[in-house]
Amino acid sequence: MDVSHLAQTFGSLFVSIFVVATYTMKTMIPLRVFGILTNVILIAIAIPTHHYPTLVLHGILLPLNVYRLHEMLQLVRDVKKSVNSDLSMDWLKPFMTKRSCKVGEVLFYKDEKAEEMFYIVSGRFRLVESEIELPVGALVGELGMLSPTHERTQTLECIEAGAVLSVTYTQVEELFVQNPEFGFYFLKLASARLFENIGKLEDRLAEYTYDRAAAAPA
Amino acid sequence: MNSIADSFRFLLSDLTGVDDCATPTVPGGVPEALRPEVAEAIAALIAYQGPSYAELYVHRLRRFARRRDVDAVLLGLIAREMARRMCYDDPIRIAQHHLATAHHGDAVAARHRFRLDELFGALPGKVGRPLLMGCERAGWTHLPVSMRFNACSGAGRLRLRLEAGLRRWRLFSARYASERAWVERWLHMIDRGLTKQPAAALAIAGTAAMIQGSGDGYRRGLADWHALIDGIVKPALDGVLPVADLAGAIGEIVALSRDGASRQVAIAISRIREEATRGA
Repeated sequence: MDVSHLAQTFGSLFVSIFVVATYTMKTMIPLRVFGILTNVILIAIAIPTHHYPTLVLHGILLPLNVYRLHEMLQLVRDVKKSVNSDLSMDWLKPFMTKRSCKVGEVLFYKDEKAEEMFYIVSGRFRLVESEIELPVGALVGELGMLSPTHERTQTLECIEAGAVLSVTYTQVEELFVQNPEFGFYFLKLASARLFENIGKLEDRLAEYTYDRAAAAPA
Repeated sequence: MNSIADSFRFLLSDLTGVDDCATPTVPGGVPEALRPEVAEAIAALIAYQGPSYAELYVHRLRRFARRRDVDAVLLGLIAREMARRMCYDDPIRIAQHHLATAHHGDAVAARHRFRLDELFGALPGKVGRPLLMGCERAGWTHLPVSMRFNACSGAGRLRLRLEAGLRRWRLFSARYASERAWVERWLHMIDRGLTKQPAAALAIAGTAAMIQGSGDGYRRGLADWHALIDGIVKPALDGVLPVADLAGAIGEIVALSRDGASRQVAIAISRIREEATRGA
């Protein structure tokens, strides 16, 4: 029995185990890890047995799997970092699509069903009902994804031509489902931003109550 | 086994057009007298597109039904005009209509004329948008295209069924995107009207009547509507154009547009703006 025959017999058995294990994975990161291991083993078997088509196929799949795994791990790392620092949503940028906006263009209307969130890159944007202008770098609509009614609470209008990045809730949900760790940190981040908003409202309410008390006749 | 079949049905739902949404009901807050009309609109929207689409209508209507400052007249007008605008005319709808009449024993053959952009706009966005862009570049958007809808023969009905089957991709079309934006803008204007100038809210809701049918008449009405909103209604509600009688101004423009006098519409808008600026 020569070496190549041995490699083929044991290799096939070994690969079969890894292929089955890959398909049993429920989430993306372990699936990619097992995919990488399977690629490596198949490359290792293809060399002594001279199966060049298999070698080429897995030579292409290996870097692809490594890159996708890196992307997913990077995403989890960035969300985790954001939760522990400035609550920024910058990590979402690579998944967003750029869109130009003209003056007077409305990105969404109050009470409309919300389907995507926006990140303001340039230009000037105003929330019509509250007449608040949003700064460059603001993220709009991230809490709408988690609200049960998915309704917009304000109208967003472009008042000076610029650009926004947008991502649909479906895309974020896909990331969420593919990777429970991302989902966990995303929830933590969204809750932290919500609590931050509540804190700001409480401060404003306290200021308002204080001003009223000061203005009231003694 | 059933659950596996359900999963695959869900996976392919975009392709097959399966709509699992429950049939929506008339929302609470709609007055008793209006309920049959709203129920009829829901049934029409289900036939036009499906239960999810009818649910969108109910969701939009509920925004106004729950408000105290919206009376039965205004709510009725919103319900009627919204149902009409959400069932907009496109080649798919004409095919659906011919099939429905054939089903009731009134099969007819008729020829309908569309603009080229109406045909391409009804296709799924990924296919229709590049064609529309090409058309715009070549200046062919307004070219008339004649289509025969024949429910009298077997082959004709088969073709109608194929055309009506395109409805499963209607919500991905360029036309739907623009219609959706239009309905939301119209509702937003009514909402702003109720907040800023309640006396003009009914007139704003009535502007939907400016947009009728298909082809050049539809395009003209749509252009007049946008000119009215951008030139008078929005600036007045934003507080930058002090129009003394907003409802009257809207009524005048709607009447001119109904007569098909687009040039007169533009002149009247300029005059009203001038008068308002001078009055300020």
